[in-house]
Amino acid sequence: MTIETATDEYNRKRRSSISITLSVWNALFLREAVSRLSTSRAAWAGLLLGPVIHITFMVVMFTFVRMRTMSGIDIAVWLIVGVLFYNLFKNTSQQVKNGLGANQALFTYRQVKPIDALLVRAAMEASLSIVIIIIISFGATLFGIDLFPDDPLAVLIAFFGMWLMGLGWGLLCSVIFKLTPELGKVVDIITGPMYLLSGVILPIAHMPPFIREWLVYIPMAHGLEAARLGASSYYHAFPELDIAYLYEFALTTIFLGLGLHKRFARKLVTK
Amino acid sequence: MIIVDDIYKRYQTEHGPGRWILQGVSLVIPPKVSVGLVGRNGAGKSTLLKLIGGVDQPNRGHIDRRCRVSWPMGFSGGLQPSLTGRQNAKFVCRIHGHEDDIPDRLAYIQDFAQLGEAFDEPIKNYSAGMRGRLQFALSLAFDFDVYISDEVTATGDAAMKKKAAEAFKNLSDHASLIMVSHGEGTLKQFCSAGIWLDNGKAHWFDDLNDALKAYKESHPK
Repeated sequence: MTIETATDEYNRKRRSSISITLSVWNALFLREAVSRLSTSRAAWAGLLLGPVIHITFMVVMFTFVRMRTMSGIDIAVWLIVGVLFYNLFKNTSQQVKNGLGANQALFTYRQVKPIDALLVRAAMEASLSIVIIIIISFGATLFGIDLFPDDPLAVLIAFFGMWLMGLGWGLLCSVIFKLTPELGKVVDIITGPMYLLSGVILPIAHMPPFIREWLVYIPMAHGLEAARLGASSYYHAFPELDIAYLYEFALTTIFLGLGLHKRFARKLVTK
Repeated sequence: MIIVDDIYKRYQTEHGPGRWILQGVSLVIPPKVSVGLVGRNGAGKSTLLKLIGGVDQPNRGHIDRRCRVSWPMGFSGGLQPSLTGRQNAKFVCRIHGHEDDIPDRLAYIQDFAQLGEAFDEPIKNYSAGMRGRLQFALSLAFDFDVYISDEVTATGDAAMKKKAAEAFKNLSDHASLIMVSHGEGTLKQFCSAGIWLDNGKAHWFDDLNDALKAYKESHPK
């Protein structure tokens, strides 16, 4: 067989790039679902128990100091929305950030690119978060906490924004952690206090203006406030609330993250 | 046809970049030609196989694969230890676009690897031999034009070795092999051409015997 006919035959049998990517995403998603939900005993219960215990502890703490409401809404609603939506950001960014190391074995197959594994992890996290949020909302209803949102669309927009933010931050961090682990440690130290500064358990609206004007630069704070406002229209959000800022920030980090992945595509899979 | 164009490779160590393993390797492996790779330990044989198989990337230069090339058979990566053999096999079927005929491929893999009930146990409980068998069966389950084999025939017990040799023989009428083996007999059995790796350079020989001769003559007396 001549070289030309061999090449022709190969070109005919070749799958298109998009069909390869789609089958890789499908395979990765199913694999991720299996390893997240069924490789360890009661893995699914762990996913649910984490936030439930966190929320219960916080609600008990706050009611102990006689705080029944926060900025016009039930303290439990305020905390549940805050914790769940912050977790969405935190878990997505962490899953994406750790995706390179955890999936190193998969890059054996040329079809699987690092970015595929990370995008699929983010999608997995969004799916799990939706299920967890729905279960916890129904659970809370049993305790008399009304979590049905007054403005479901606003809540969805906040959800998607927080998810995009997690994806963007995770993409950026994944490259930084892989290429310069030392810098990665510094990033970890900076992101630690974000839990407090984003207003999950400390109300930004009640802060003195000279602190608040700095805190509102944190994009996650806007996502949390928008979600609470969507959950209850009686909520007094901080006046600087701007959901577009969260999206601008998220899309910028996603763009930068994708750029870094493109620029260092070869280096990320080189041993 | 596989075109290897002026590739350089060194590994990153804890103390900066290591020594150059491959320095300016250029090769053209024509279609339907089985090649044996010879060279001393550490000459870069497995490294070159990994680069051709796309498991790792060269620091400089590039590789053009104008055919379907397998991943290196017997390569220890590529399997998730916490998942079962079956789950891993399904994943590999899916990424190769065989979503529709997964049952057929699984049946083939199960039959070839002869793992019995262990097929549904996590890979981390497998012995080295069982793992090798699964990996070998996995790569045989797909139609590649070129199979890359890194000492595959050395793993497993006598029965498995015989099975592997038979499988290679069957492959040779529709696909070719690129293999590393320290067994001269194995190389001669399957390969016609040879590549001798020495000092980071590759030397192509149309006849495997010439490659083996050059390799032997390079030994210090």
